[in-house]
Amino acid sequence: MKVSQNWLKQYINFKFTPEQFTEKLSMLGLEVESSEDLSKKYDKFVVGEVLERAKHPNADRLSVCKVNIGGTVQEVVCGAPNVAAGQKVAVALVGAVIPHNQHGDEGKSFILEHAKIRGVESHGMMCSEQELGLGKDASGILVLDAAAKAGTPLAKYLGQTDTIYEIGITPNRSDCLSHIGVAREIGVLVNKKMKHPKVILKESRTPASKFAKIEILDKEKCPRYSARVLRNIKIGPSPKWLQDILSSVGVRPINNVVDVTNYVLMETGHPLHAFDYDKLAEHKIVIKAARDGEKFVTLDGKERTLTSETLMICDAERPIAVAGVMGGANTEISDTTTNILIESAYFHPQNIRRTSKYLGLSTEASYRFERGADMNITVTAANRAAQLIQELAGGDLLKGVLDAYPKKRKPIVVKARVSRINSIIGTSLSKMQIISLLKKIDLVVKSSSRDELLVTVPSFRNDILEEIDVIEEVARVYGYNNIETKTHAAIDFSSNVRTDALQDEVREFLIGSGFNEILAIGLQDEATMSLAGKPLVKALNPVSAEMAALRTSLVTSALGIVKHNRNHGTKDLRLFELGNIHLRIDGKASNSLEAYQEEERLLLVISGNHAPVSYGNASRVVDVLDMKGEVSALLSKFCLDNYRFIYYDTHEALSEPCIGIEINGTYAGFFGKIRKQIADKLDIDEAVFVCEMNIRALRDGWVRDRKFSPLPKFPGVTRDLAFTVDATLPQNKVEDVIRQVGRPLCTNVVLFDTYSGQQTGKDKKSVAYALEFQSPDHTLAEEEIDHALAKIIEAVQRQCNGVLRS
Amino acid sequence: MLEKVVHTKQAFTEELQKAATLQDLEQTRIKYLARSGEIAALFEGMKSAAPAEKPALGKTLNELRQYAQAQFDEKKLLLEQSAKPKEVPFDLTLPGRSKPIGTKHPVTQVMEEIKRIFRSMGFSVENGPEIESDYYNFEALNFAPDHPARDMQDTIFIADKILLRTHTSPVQIRVMEKQKPPVRAIMPGWAYRNEAVSARSLVAFHQIEGLYVDEGVTFSELKGTLVAFAKQFYGSSIKYRFRPSFFPFTEPSAEMDITCYLCNGKGCRICKHSGWLEVLGSGMVHPHVFQAVGYDAEKYTGYAFGMGIERTALLRYGIDDIRILYENDVRFLKQF
Ligand SMILES: [Zn+2]
Repeated sequence: MKVSQNWLKQYINFKFTPEQFTEKLSMLGLEVESSEDLSKKYDKFVVGEVLERAKHPNADRLSVCKVNIGGTVQEVVCGAPNVAAGQKVAVALVGAVIPHNQHGDEGKSFILEHAKIRGVESHGMMCSEQELGLGKDASGILVLDAAAKAGTPLAKYLGQTDTIYEIGITPNRSDCLSHIGVAREIGVLVNKKMKHPKVILKESRTPASKFAKIEILDKEKCPRYSARVLRNIKIGPSPKWLQDILSSVGVRPINNVVDVTNYVLMETGHPLHAFDYDKLAEHKIVIKAARDGEKFVTLDGKERTLTSETLMICDAERPIAVAGVMGGANTEISDTTTNILIESAYFHPQNIRRTSKYLGLSTEASYRFERGADMNITVTAANRAAQLIQELAGGDLLKGVLDAYPKKRKPIVVKARVSRINSIIGTSLSKMQIISLLKKIDLVVKSSSRDELLVTVPSFRNDILEEIDVIEEVARVYGYNNIETKTHAAIDFSSNVRTDALQDEVREFLIGSGFNEILAIGLQDEATMSLAGKPLVKALNPVSAEMAALRTSLVTSALGIVKHNRNHGTKDLRLFELGNIHLRIDGKASNSLEAYQEEERLLLVISGNHAPVSYGNASRVVDVLDMKGEVSALLSKFCLDNYRFIYYDTHEALSEPCIGIEINGTYAGFFGKIRKQIADKLDIDEAVFVCEMNIRALRDGWVRDRKFSPLPKFPGVTRDLAFTVDATLPQNKVEDVIRQVGRPLCTNVVLFDTYSGQQTGKDKKSVAYALEFQSPDHTLAEEEIDHALAKIIEAVQRQCNGVLRS
Repeated sequence: MLEKVVHTKQAFTEELQKAATLQDLEQTRIKYLARSGEIAALFEGMKSAAPAEKPALGKTLNELRQYAQAQFDEKKLLLEQSAKPKEVPFDLTLPGRSKPIGTKHPVTQVMEEIKRIFRSMGFSVENGPEIESDYYNFEALNFAPDHPARDMQDTIFIADKILLRTHTSPVQIRVMEKQKPPVRAIMPGWAYRNEAVSARSLVAFHQIEGLYVDEGVTFSELKGTLVAFAKQFYGSSIKYRFRPSFFPFTEPSAEMDITCYLCNGKGCRICKHSGWLEVLGSGMVHPHVFQAVGYDAEKYTGYAFGMGIERTALLRYGIDDIRILYENDVRFLKQF
């Protein structure tokens, strides 16, 4: 909300620099987001007097003027047709920022520089209304008041001496959505009470009650409706001071009546509306709900469809305004309006919010009503408007306020305990201290017992309803920075269980293995996400099509990242992500949380060369064994040997081959190469290997407790064996036989080579193993090893049809 | 005799200098140092010298022999080295063989540091789901239905009353539902807002939530804990302030600001010329929240706080566009 410093000063006297204002109000909870010194806008602009006008020697349309800018006379080249000697004009001097470029650059501002125009030096520029940002007239220079004195800063001449602050008012503080509201808070800072404007009314003898009637049919949604009637007024533009002050806080001036209602809104925070009295059927105001599907044209010319929830202001025949949101076109103030009815009502906040949301229409009025207006201020606000309208538009103010107020609001009294206040804030304030703090913000305290305070809340503070609200006010007025900063020493660590330890360790492990961590946003585009082939969880109101569906697999979002990197020249990729995916559970209602399953996943991606081009590392394109190696290393670290890989028959749609991972017999994920069809869709023309694992399965299989096994006391012996077997025989058949038969002396078997070619023939292959023999209780003799080897060779021959190669 | 010695030394030195090959050198050795060489001959000649001259002469001759041997050894070493086939010297500028180096995402790094600090203060780490119900995300956190406070967080809906959590605060409710006080936990995770993507805002971002509930927890302690955190995270010399604010689920509520460390509080573009940076929101847990989870609000008090991670990461690393964080460009990732 914009507030004007000059305006605030009408109610409270204070002398703050913009920095002080910002700091002090922010510390009171009214966050000052920015400030603008209006006089700075016309820095280097002065009032000038045109002394002479002469024709430009080289250009017919230009003139060269001698201009007195206060003390000195400067030559200024001017292209405006209306320039004449004797005029008072606005002169921008070199270095001034011209608000509007009327000759191009889309009207942007620019800095005025020294210029030679067609050979004549110009020491400034005479400005049009548009160039000054004061209006739309660009036909010639703006001619100022003849009485203006040459040399006067333009800001001073224009009355632009104000500072405008932008304050962010939190939703609970509707009382601060006005100049009076902010002035009240400044009063806390300067220890003074703000002064309300004096309202003196000149009422005619005719009672308003003879001219209009008010009837509230929905007392729940409209607890109070006050109105005043003015006759024989003259609609016209507002005086300059009113137009200026409204413009300065961002309100567009319209006419004297509407401007006054807006002025009172910005002054008191209470929304008003003026109706053309003569257009009210039977001069009657009825407040009631709309009919379902009823149509209504609001002031902005738009036709709106209403519901039975929408509260309407009606005359005897038809609706004339959407209560608390916007008036109707049918009773709008026009240039010919002479009689008016000013509405000053209180509407139920939730209903106004629902209506505003439903209509998609938020106005200054609805913004305040939905945050809670002040029910007690309706008459004061109506009177203030009546007074100003009479001053500006003349006319007769009919006697008396029409005030339908069926059930008078009872003041709210909140009980608050001194002990509780101190125990929440951590202070030791006395009862008297608390009472005087609350008094500063108009909370009147009666003490009912030693500890208990009875706090009467003024009607404008609708956010104070219970004890904790009073406690907050005490803390706020006492000053957060005056509250001691201390820490409690007794820390209970008993519940400090690390639930994220596995993720941390996996992350460190992968970084050690040369993977770069990526993080992708959960919301992605639907087409790519659906490549995973699972039903998607989608946003009902997505921000954009690129962020419309949640991932069912980390792979799909990673493909976009692979593509991005490839497009930017990084083709050798080793990436990992720890992230969540979301699955839609069949058969559960979409409005139940059970319909959605969140899973934490680990993703590995490798593509391109095995290692970046580097000295001593032969470059080689990665293949599925690289991925298998990475996955095996990870699983061996966390799950020892409690895992295995199984061919899955295209179980997952994403990769080919798709190799399933089982940990302790439970499915934990898969790895493989991204299917060509999918890679093609994303224009990725290189093999991408991925592995996706369920963190939960990894956690379940995580062997955190390790037990020490004694180190062997006797040396081990290594022997190599190579066999020729059928090319189709999986090597692990041979390996398994070696392990089984070699027990207990053969303690380790490592495949170190496979070969298929000329020496073996096409349908055969050679597999070579390094075997380690060891005994826990003695040094092995040659005969023992030979005996074990013979058994192994015999078994491989028999079980795998393997022939020993010499 | 002495004259002879001086002459021999001179001749030896000259010849040695001239010797260009090992063969030359061997010639010189034979001529002077061999058993039948000139120096040996001088020793032989000493026998015929007067007895009184003998000690001094012996000393001089010994010195000559030592000198000649040392000179010879030195020259030999020199010639041997130059005679060897030239070995290419080790090129220290060759790169060492290495494996690729992995990196941790900058957002993770910031998150980990924050977690580490709070863990050291006795906070456990808890998690909750990203798809939430209106109840957990709003209602239980004292956001009344049809209250403008809901406008503070533009929501992405999945279904009726089912949404992507707009903050990590619903995890507070989940933690309190399953655990009796004392509760001391931080709750990191993703949150989502229906906001247009720009250099300053993304649809999704990370938050970290904190909660401490026990008997006798005060606002004063909230300040103490958060200041202790901020000093560890931002540096012990920072200045800070707490300013009243509004969150439906805490009261009194406060924003914590620290002096902008980019301009030292003088005001710059990043701190919007205020000299302050807003780093977290906090407050005392609202009694309505305790009622929602069945805690005795008279017996227990507590504080809660929350902060955004991305903004912190942007400030820490001097990144000016939030979107680059999730492009996951490897050239970017490798910088951290
Ligand atoms: Zn700064």
